[in-house]
Amino acid sequence: MKKTRNRKLPGNSQWQWKNLIGLLPFFLFIAFFLVMPSLTLFSGAFQDVDGHFTLANFSFLQNTFALKSYLTSVWVSLITSVIGGVFGFFVAYAITAERAPRWMRNVLTTFSGLAANFGGVPLAFAFIATLGRTGFITALLKGICFNGAGGTTICPFNPYEHGFNLYSVTGLILAYTYFQFPLMVLTITPALEGLKREWSEASANLGSSSSQYWRYVALPVLWPSLLGATILLFGNAFGAYATAQALTGGSIYLVTIMIGQQIRGDVLGNPNEGYALAFGMVVIMSITIFLYVMLQRKTTRWIKS
Amino acid sequence: MKTQKKNTWAIFWAVLAMLYFFVPMLGTFIFSLRMKRGVLSFQAYQSVLADSRFLESFRYSATMGIITVLVSVLLLLPTVYWIYVKVPWMRPAMDIITILPFVVPVIVLVFGLIRTFGRPPFQLTLTTFGTDILMTAGYVIITMPYMYRAIDVGMRSMDVRTLTEAAQSLGSNWFQVLTQVILPNLRIAVLSGALICFATVMGELILADFLVRPALGSYMAGIGRSKAYEPAALAIISYGLTWVCLGLIQYFSRGSQEQQLTGR
Amino acid sequence: MAQLELTNITKSFGGTIAVQNFNLAIETGEFISFLGPSGCGKTTTLRMVAGFEIPTSGTVTLDGVDLTNLPPNKRNMGMVFQSYALFPNMTAAQNVGYGLKVAGKPKDEIDQRVDEMLELIQMRDFSRRYPNQLSGGQQQRLALARSLAIRPKVLLLDEPLSALDAKIRLELRQEIRRIQRQLGITTIYVTHDQEEAFSLSDRVVVMSRGLIQQVDTPIQIYNHPASDFVAEFVGHINLLPVEVAQAKEGLVRLGSQLIRAGQFEHLNGRPVRLAVRPEELKSGFAEGANNLTGKIESVTYLGAIVRVHVDVDGHLVSLEMFNERSLNIPAVGQPYQINFPVEACWLTNGEKE
Ligand SMILES: Nc1ncnc2c1ncn2[C@@H]1O[C@H](COP(=O)(O)OP(=O)(O)O)[C@@H](O)[C@H]1O
Ligand SMILES: [Mg+2]
Repeated sequence: MKKTRNRKLPGNSQWQWKNLIGLLPFFLFIAFFLVMPSLTLFSGAFQDVDGHFTLANFSFLQNTFALKSYLTSVWVSLITSVIGGVFGFFVAYAITAERAPRWMRNVLTTFSGLAANFGGVPLAFAFIATLGRTGFITALLKGICFNGAGGTTICPFNPYEHGFNLYSVTGLILAYTYFQFPLMVLTITPALEGLKREWSEASANLGSSSSQYWRYVALPVLWPSLLGATILLFGNAFGAYATAQALTGGSIYLVTIMIGQQIRGDVLGNPNEGYALAFGMVVIMSITIFLYVMLQRKTTRWIKS
Repeated sequence: MKTQKKNTWAIFWAVLAMLYFFVPMLGTFIFSLRMKRGVLSFQAYQSVLADSRFLESFRYSATMGIITVLVSVLLLLPTVYWIYVKVPWMRPAMDIITILPFVVPVIVLVFGLIRTFGRPPFQLTLTTFGTDILMTAGYVIITMPYMYRAIDVGMRSMDVRTLTEAAQSLGSNWFQVLTQVILPNLRIAVLSGALICFATVMGELILADFLVRPALGSYMAGIGRSKAYEPAALAIISYGLTWVCLGLIQYFSRGSQEQQLTGR
Repeated sequence: MAQLELTNITKSFGGTIAVQNFNLAIETGEFISFLGPSGCGKTTTLRMVAGFEIPTSGTVTLDGVDLTNLPPNKRNMGMVFQSYALFPNMTAAQNVGYGLKVAGKPKDEIDQRVDEMLELIQMRDFSRRYPNQLSGGQQQRLALARSLAIRPKVLLLDEPLSALDAKIRLELRQEIRRIQRQLGITTIYVTHDQEEAFSLSDRVVVMSRGLIQQVDTPIQIYNHPASDFVAEFVGHINLLPVEVAQAKEGLVRLGSQLIRAGQFEHLNGRPVRLAVRPEELKSGFAEGANNLTGKIESVTYLGAIVRVHVDVDGHLVSLEMFNERSLNIPAVGQPYQINFPVEACWLTNGEKE
């Protein structure tokens, strides 16, 4: 790449810019359908109803309702990316280096691809059919009954009598994990495969225990990938809308759900506050993706050299 | 002894993961068979398949999926090709630009699209045709990260510049090079990008719901509000659909590996 | 008593037997090479010594202690891998100090030893570099220092030079020998390169298909190979199909020409081949030696060596001579007379390995 640049540099860097003309359709498309809509929202976020500049729209941050939606979204995304990340990491660990039987590895690789792409409404349906009030597993657990004292029947395993509720944040976390951990498996497996067997052997040969190997070698080497993958999971959950909508009917106020309601009927009572809400999401996503790109760069640099 | 212990843990996590995969799936499947009281039957599926709105929305989404794939390929293939041949120094920048759709969550994108194109001077949302244009554009944006990467990876694995020069030296023009040399070599990459793209469009809810078009996603959401067993059947059907798309990707990319091996 | 003893070691992976009936006693300070073609079981044997593989049967003892089932991290052996296996996230100094760090040694002891080791491999200036900022040769030297830093009882090297280019390989070879001598450490060196094995080792173990073919000093292995396999694997050799002419006189016939080859009772009357190294053959006639006449088939200049193929009654015989100025080799197709001492050749039963 550098070579090309150097070869063509003498006197005609303009020629280089002319070459960008072939990218015009692409950039026009992006400008129309990504940049323009975003700008509409951004400028709206900083304007009042009459079009004057204002920061007042961000006063929604004082509106506990809106603020809480941010907190819920961040919380759900964080917790599912950590749970999904840790779980996915162990699963990826199991399917690399021939640790689990071959058929299990095949099943897990295939299903990770499937589950990571399986979200939205059908996922919510699946969880309702399984763990909802009348769901299959709920019914199974409910049906385990014993004869208690005095001829009463005790059914101690009904999850709904122990505070479990699928149509809540807990249920949402359960459902999100279904696509979060497979995504972790898909993103972290290449990094795990990059751990050379010789490293663990060299480490053992030098007298380290297996936990010392993980602490001093494997985890430090994996760290950028692990962090990067977790950030990806965060973004994945943060932008999700359909599963939450279908699972809870919009009764859990995630930012995405709030925005949805704002589009439908201006629940905030001020369209520009809706823009500010959306703008905040983009800011948070930009930060996460920026971190992701930076870490990704670092990882690839390491692996390459 | 040590390896044995390690394997026990690996198997533990593997089994746990498989339970997580299969229990909801199995639960959903069995639940979907229980529409008729007391017996297992496929009535929920019959009911879904007999619903004309289902077929309509399925046809609509499939059509949108195909259109999206076509537009996406037409837009991105020449772009990526151009980058490889003419402006390779743009590649890092493109990597970042094509990740941008991740930065703008779909709900925000829809919000922006509606507020931008629903008003003068565009007013696209006034007609169904205009709305469909907006839908397609939205889908192309949403699926761009996948499609771009698929094509980019495919392009990287062949020496585009040399191939182009070779073809040109034999008298081909740009269009011929692209359609007769590059595209055949990119078949598999484009196909796997296309299938992911298609699967995404088939399951998408937000765009269709807010632009009020009769797509599969909004049909499903509607069913979910009003019925009990049909949603389970729909979940299984859409599992199957995703499965088929991914299975096809795997099938085709396996074929390409074999080709490579024998080619050497 | 030998320091390291491998007794009756066998290792099979599923159906395939990688190493079979391996017996070897290694003295303290000895430099031993395992030499053999790829896939003959050298690495597997070395890994059993290091503890990465557990023998299917047999024992490994070090200083009289059985460590067959001891995990690798309890064995105190230093291993150097073909791919260096340096930890990419640690600097040169951290790599070298790793073994001491995990052993919980105090920091100043680690620092001192690291310094000492980097000095030994003449890389003190590179202590803060990461492995990816070092050349292949430097990385392998670092790997050597890292394995020596824990003061291992035995040093194990698995084709340590194979990934390097020719010139560095030669340099590093001498460095390994120097360091080994300086520290007096017992060393096992795995290689498929005969020159490496010969130039470094006190004794060489030649292996083929999981079996030891011969264990001896380099000179003995070269001059008195125990089998056709060893003779062919080590250096070049002519193996010429001959017929027994007069058993009592020890005479055989190559084509129509007689060769005196000494005793051959051990051959049990099977088809016979005559073995003679190309460098033993001279041009011209010599009294008391075996003399053959033939035609020049080809002449190849390899630099210091000239290789001549001579067609003797339909059999190709190869000669290797120093490329001296006085050398005067006739053109291809010309008649050519060659000779070799009777002691330089021997007969084998012609079983091709
Ligand atoms: N982990 C293993 N599983 C199965 N077969 C193996 C394994 N390791 C080595 N082998 C087999 O054992 C034989 C000897 O291998 P190796 O010791 O690596 O040979 P060398 O180092 O001499 O080239 C080979 O045939 C190889 O295929
Ligand atoms: Mg080997």
